[in-house]
Amino acid sequence: MEYDWNFAIVWDYRAVLLRGLLYTVMLAAITIVTSMILGLVLALLRGSKVPFVYPVISTMISVVRAVPVLVLLVWMYYCLPIITGLKLEGFTTVVIALSIYSSAFFAEIFRGGIQSIDRGHIEAAQSVGMTRGQVFQRIVAPLAFQRIFPPLVNQCILVLKNTTLAGYVAVPELLYLGQQISVRTFRPLELLTVVAVLFVVTIVPLTLAAEYFEKKYREKYFR
Amino acid sequence: MTLLAIRDVHKSYGALEVLKGIDLTVEAGEIVGFIGASGSGKSTLLRCINHMEAPTRGEVLLEGETVGVKKVGDRHVPRSSAELSQQRRKMAMVFQHFNLWPHKTALENVMEGPVVVQKIEREKARAKALAALARVGLADKADSYPSRLSGGQQQRVGIARALALEPQIILFDEPTSALDPELVNEVLAVIQGLANDGMTLIIVTHEMRFARDVCDRVVFLDKGRIADIGPPSHIFGATANARTQEFVRNYYG
Repeated sequence: MEYDWNFAIVWDYRAVLLRGLLYTVMLAAITIVTSMILGLVLALLRGSKVPFVYPVISTMISVVRAVPVLVLLVWMYYCLPIITGLKLEGFTTVVIALSIYSSAFFAEIFRGGIQSIDRGHIEAAQSVGMTRGQVFQRIVAPLAFQRIFPPLVNQCILVLKNTTLAGYVAVPELLYLGQQISVRTFRPLELLTVVAVLFVVTIVPLTLAAEYFEKKYREKYFR
Repeated sequence: MTLLAIRDVHKSYGALEVLKGIDLTVEAGEIVGFIGASGSGKSTLLRCINHMEAPTRGEVLLEGETVGVKKVGDRHVPRSSAELSQQRRKMAMVFQHFNLWPHKTALENVMEGPVVVQKIEREKARAKALAALARVGLADKADSYPSRLSGGQQQRVGIARALALEPQIILFDEPTSALDPELVNEVLAVIQGLANDGMTLIIVTHEMRFARDVCDRVVFLDKGRIADIGPPSHIFGATANARTQEFVRNYYG
């Protein structure tokens, strides 16, 4: 099969593509921060002993996880305004939808981490007189963080890639702009390739940094 | 002076009654050993003292103050997390499996209580922690992480962590049970040293010789009750209690 690759055209659109990449990274960064915070709150609430909190939160998490993220996003964009009368901008809708979706996963990662901590380490903290908050902050959180670091990185990468769905509601992230350009230039293969490369060069260094950090951490405490 | 009073303490897990009414007082400076078979309730009793386990009935008083609960009218209500914390640090605990925090050095493990709970200035806490480590013979291991220490060393750090709180009592929960035989003595020597210094200690142990040599009083627990109690000369000698005799004989071999 013959195909006449032409990346010169892509080069002409480099500014647009970089803008798209920037948008994608920004979208992902905001979503990661909000969904981690939301996820942590959900994980802590799920462990609470207040009646009804646990079933309510775990049902919420199960429901959100069961809905395909694209369906959730498009539904929020088109149905929510009809139901609530509230019309949000595309960008805001994407951040909210992705945050709700990802927070369910982050919540489960956090919960797993918190539950994996040896009872003895918690009891030792209680025995020196730490309050519940201090036990969490000083002992449980740092130990759990070290344990959940790999799945946490994993989830962050998924969030970054899920931002490509924002194009469905016309938010100008990288893939959306790539597709726009390919429609104009009739060069979808080149653009898809470049979009893929841009994702790789964004994500791989982050992965390497995460691996380095994890290695240092292990060397320091658990050799 | 009575430091600790245990009054009619019961503890049940569902239908299983582990403690069936324990009464005991401990004087300041006293060394009390809890002995008994597995499942006799000795560890549970120890954990009821600092409210790691909440007694189902009865109460524990430290210097006349009920631990973990307080009386409102004639009802017992749980104390706040902050109040309970203040009580707990007066009764430091040493655990069977050491439970050192793996992400902190020996020194940081010992400093944690003084800094975080007692809000002592970092430099002062550091000096205090180093003194505690020196007392258990581990000043040179201050900067080591627990994973680099032997079991015996970890347990000595555990004891230093308890000491740094300047507690009124130290509760030992089978402090040598998880150690290799050749490491047991270094830990027992440290505990012996604390006893000589006049600290109040309660020790759950299977080391009968140690209980005999160090304790002022030995409590023999059997099926959730105090079956026998007295000075070592009584428990390991004069007692007329057949259960005690049998238990002690089995352990001495």
